[in-house]
Amino acid sequence: MERTAVGPPDGVIVQAVLSGDVEQYAVLVRRYQDRYARYATRMLGSVDAAEDAVQDALVRAYDQLARCRDPNNFAGWFFLILRNRCFAERRRDQRFAALDGVPDVPAEENTEASLERSERGRGIERALQTLTPEQREVFVLKHMEELSYEEIAGRVGTTVAALKMRMHRAYDRLRELLEEMQ
Amino acid sequence: MTRPASLLALAMLLAPHLAGQGRADARLAGRVPASLAAAVTALLDSAALHGLPGAPLVDKALEGVAKGAPTDRILVAVRTVFDQLDAVATVLAETGNAGADAVEAGSFAMAAGLTTSDIGEIARTADRSHPAATALLVAGTLAALGVPRAETVALVRATIRSGRPVGDLVSLPGQVQAAMAGGSPPAAAAAGLARAAEAHLAPGPRGRGRGQGNPHKP
Amino acid sequence: MSREFHPLVKQLLDGERTLSSLPPELQAEAEEAVRLLGAMDRRDVTFSSGLEARVMQEVRQHAAARRVRANTDPVLWRWLTAPSVPPWVVGAVAAAAIIALVIWRPGSANDPVAVAPATAVAPESVFVKFILFAAAAKRVTLAGTFNRWDAGATPLARAGDEGVWTVTLGLPVGQHQYAFVVDGQRWVVDPAAPTVDDGFGRKNSVVSVSLGLGRVM
Repeated sequence: MERTAVGPPDGVIVQAVLSGDVEQYAVLVRRYQDRYARYATRMLGSVDAAEDAVQDALVRAYDQLARCRDPNNFAGWFFLILRNRCFAERRRDQRFAALDGVPDVPAEENTEASLERSERGRGIERALQTLTPEQREVFVLKHMEELSYEEIAGRVGTTVAALKMRMHRAYDRLRELLEEMQ
Repeated sequence: MTRPASLLALAMLLAPHLAGQGRADARLAGRVPASLAAAVTALLDSAALHGLPGAPLVDKALEGVAKGAPTDRILVAVRTVFDQLDAVATVLAETGNAGADAVEAGSFAMAAGLTTSDIGEIARTADRSHPAATALLVAGTLAALGVPRAETVALVRATIRSGRPVGDLVSLPGQVQAAMAGGSPPAAAAAGLARAAEAHLAPGPRGRGRGQGNPHKP
Repeated sequence: MSREFHPLVKQLLDGERTLSSLPPELQAEAEEAVRLLGAMDRRDVTFSSGLEARVMQEVRQHAAARRVRANTDPVLWRWLTAPSVPPWVVGAVAAAAIIALVIWRPGSANDPVAVAPATAVAPESVFVKFILFAAAAKRVTLAGTFNRWDAGATPLARAGDEGVWTVTLGLPVGQHQYAFVVDGQRWVVDPAAPTVDDGFGRKNSVVSVSLGLGRVM
């Protein structure tokens, strides 16, 4: 699925919605509903929980659209709303989340090596869910979304040094948890 | 979807950040380094989403640059202001006093050493004649003078409850400072004023206190 | 007992060093770490096709509710929801509307540095005089929240030969933090004012201004 935006820039759509054309908001929904699906799933440990969070965040983004300071970067602003939602969700539910959302390896890839990777991958997923939300976020953004520390710092409003500290604790915790699982 | 396409999408998403252009708040442009401006602007976006005032965040960033502080330290200081505003807004929302002026005044009081619990107590005592923003401004100033938390809260609350005009509340820091100039420690100065306010509250013989009493009552 | 990755291996994981740059004794640990990352599931996640419909259903409901509120007070509602109005402006204007009812009077006679304002810069401002004694200084300026911490924007004037430097500013209602900057380098607090930590290892002086009542401190 091609994710590059086609059609008018976000800023034009935002202004149209703020002027009263509510149906135009569907354009933004279609553009961004899956943009952070992987991030939300890894943060919350479940595709269903992630879908609920994204739905909620999209509605909140509409409610607060007048406060979007840079309408041409609706995606970045929406990310902040979704991020807040994910963190609030984790604060409410500190228990280990079920991995109902981690897809199985497709049949044509069912080699022994890929099964072993899959098992280790599930182990990492379980371990990720036991990290603090801040540790899990930097891990997901750096190693799944492949952002640099500087990009992450600019996005979430913190320092590179703080991010590295969280990340290095996450590395150690993951190693410890994976050894316990073996 | 393939990873190259996903990476392309993410790069497009972050292009404004990567270029450092068109993303920094106008108040920061030209005054702070681009990386700091981007991070502070992200915090400003979060503040806007939470209904928090953004000016204190901008002020702290500009202050840090003016004083030559390292970027990391500036961002920590700005983050601290954000967390204070957020904590204060949360507690004030519970008291029905969550206007921007009250949040800024509460954040100042917190920077001066009061806790969210102190701020909540003061805000709950505030009334139409003694707005929460004014009460918190006075409380923060008293704390900044060195009056301990307990005495600060007690003095502000007693003054509001005494029903005295708001000018009496606002003049408290000046009165405490005058007492300190006379050799009184801040805590003792504040405690003395609180006792005076409480005496104004206490029902006394007819003709004293707030009411005049019933002249027809034997 | 927890086993932590060696700091150099963490740098490898961060992408700041290559496997070949690590010493031989760390190679096995590094390969373990790389395998760990390599096993992560990076596949995309796609939500159900009904998500857009659910979002738009809620959005339409919220839009309809908003139209009902706007019909109740269209002028106020449009102004409050206009994209160009920051939320803090709304609060400030509301506060000023309430405070404007307070009768104006000069600062207290007990306050040695307050100046009775003849005319205000704006209805919501109070004149405040700043004084610093710095006999050896060649230049003294004032930097604070009221001038965006611009250390060159507000110079003080030297009065006579006694080393007294002063400036009078009209300040808006609220609390303001500031410091004197002596000879462009030394940040000095106001000895006559309360102080708070500045978050950078120093202190800031504080002046609180309340409309109708002058300088609080």
